[in-house]
Amino acid sequence: MRDLKHLIRMEDMLQQANNELVREAREEGRKAIGYTCYYMPEVLLDLPGCFSVRLRAPNCTTPTMATYYMSGRTCHYGRSLMERALEGGFNFLDAQMATETCTVTCRFQEHLQRMNIIQNPDFFVEFTDIPFKKTENSVEHYKKQLQAHVLDKLHEKFGIDTSDEALLKAIEQHNEVCRLITEIGNYRKLAVPTITGYEFSVIMLTSLTCPKDKILPMLRETAEELKTRQPDIKPGWKIKVAVAGAENDDPDFIKLIESCGALVVADRYCYGSLPGREEIVVNEGQPPLDAIARHYLNTSCCPRFMPQDLMRGRKKYLADVCREYNADGLIVESNKFCEYWSYERTIDALIIPRDYDIPTCSIEKEYINSASGQLRTRFQAFVESVELKKLHGQTAKKAD
Amino acid sequence: MKYFGGCDVGSTYTKAVILDENGKICADTTIKSKINSEESAKIAMKEVLDKVGLNSSEELAYLIGTGYGRNKVPFADENISEISCHAMGVHVTDPNVKAIIDIGGQDVKGISVDKDGTVKNFAMNDKCAAGTGRFYEAMARSFEMSLPEFSKLSLSAKNVIPITAQCTVFAESEVITLVGEGKPMNEIAAGIQMAVAKRCFVMAKKAGATDSITLTGGCAKNDGLKQAIEHVLKLKVIDLPTDPQLMGALGAAEFARQKGLAQA
Repeated sequence: MRDLKHLIRMEDMLQQANNELVREAREEGRKAIGYTCYYMPEVLLDLPGCFSVRLRAPNCTTPTMATYYMSGRTCHYGRSLMERALEGGFNFLDAQMATETCTVTCRFQEHLQRMNIIQNPDFFVEFTDIPFKKTENSVEHYKKQLQAHVLDKLHEKFGIDTSDEALLKAIEQHNEVCRLITEIGNYRKLAVPTITGYEFSVIMLTSLTCPKDKILPMLRETAEELKTRQPDIKPGWKIKVAVAGAENDDPDFIKLIESCGALVVADRYCYGSLPGREEIVVNEGQPPLDAIARHYLNTSCCPRFMPQDLMRGRKKYLADVCREYNADGLIVESNKFCEYWSYERTIDALIIPRDYDIPTCSIEKEYINSASGQLRTRFQAFVESVELKKLHGQTAKKAD
Repeated sequence: MKYFGGCDVGSTYTKAVILDENGKICADTTIKSKINSEESAKIAMKEVLDKVGLNSSEELAYLIGTGYGRNKVPFADENISEISCHAMGVHVTDPNVKAIIDIGGQDVKGISVDKDGTVKNFAMNDKCAAGTGRFYEAMARSFEMSLPEFSKLSLSAKNVIPITAQCTVFAESEVITLVGEGKPMNEIAAGIQMAVAKRCFVMAKKAGATDSITLTGGCAKNDGLKQAIEHVLKLKVIDLPTDPQLMGALGAAEFARQKGLAQA
């Protein structure tokens, strides 16, 4: 396929958290606000005068120093973030909007708060408590938390305008990003997709890690470009897969899967677009913060919610995603020591093939994938088994 | 007569098999792997080609590479993962086998096999040498024995001295301590076999293996391990009529035969 015009620049921007667009926005006097979890609504951090940066740990080789503080038996992602913080990789941050969600990222943010790691005198960390249920009480609690710990703090510390008008403006910009990402992602549903999983992953990640106003022109152009992009005459993939699971912000992980013959057509993982790139709907007369709280609480598929109906709903959602995106199989991954996804992955690997007849490959990985040889063998074997079964199925149908 | 080849470049041994059009094994070999995978493949392939009177891999109707160095097999038409190849190799050797525990030089895999020889499910150990061929090499070294000697040592044990460390390095230290304390060597060896068998148990269960299990890979020839696995799984492991270490190469050759004949 013809190269996407902005892909190389976008790849470059993922090489460090303090990328060229982040630097540009800070030079304009805007505040860089870090966060790690979907439950910290990025739209609140993208108010005029500040911008959101979802933290990744590019260039982290091994979290040796972080392991001293956080123990070796904790999630590699949280430790890698800590390592990059200790190395000075997040000194550009003006604030960290932390969430009490998964334990290790929470611990990482507590270290930021207590250890004076970030070399920025204005830097502060503020924690928001996230509910474990999706009831009306939970929405009220969530709203109060967001008001007190995000909006009020941004206003108090940086003088950010947090009025309803400013929120509506931020929602408008956020929704445009969501529309474009969804439009770009929909090309993955085609019989022969005109975008690879790797390319989409790079685009999606830049939308999380760069100031929205600065990445929007590139997203618009990419969406336009894709309208006329033609697929390769002889595509290199053998099967299509959906990837689900825990935190994954590594496009090379997607590239590794694709190099084994499985085109990644859907991304239901933390830092993926499903769910996460749905537009926020503000009904007539509804306060924007109420719409935001409901949106983030209700769209999430995070395994931290334990009610049976939500757990079953998550499996159905995965099966629906596989069907909608014409995936032949599902790869479900989790990072080692991930507290929520370790259970969810195990259950998914049992339920999805049994109840939905979708071949499933279960992978426990590290944040930094040094063992690519072993992963390659697993993915290749999975692709071969799905491909052979497809071929045998077609042969049997012909024989009937 | 057309010939079809499979070359399994493992981390410790490289194996090659040549089949004829009817699926009969015409030649096979097992050599110690070199540091360079391509060189290992060349040597192994030359040996089997010589046996059937061919001059080069190019004269084979189809050649498939598998194993850790599968991308490095010269003149290979394609490569297939060792998981699929072991399943196919075992299937053509004994179609009654439903599950495999493959213990190679650097990893342990549990594979459940479908009726058509394809992989139903599989599980693989993490990036760790515990319970693999490398682990046994280290243990045999601690006992100052050859691998074949060590593999039979536990068979005479009346008791099992449990080994707590799973890590190759720590297990070696633990074994040296136990030997130093004067504990019976065969009972320590039985503890080692039991520790590895338990790891195999996990892999087999993860892959969904319930019965009709066989062992493949170099460690399949380890009698003490086989006995321990039968003990933990509470079933009799199926013995294959062909060298279990050749299953990956045989499966690759069988895939090559099917693909080569389909192309013709």
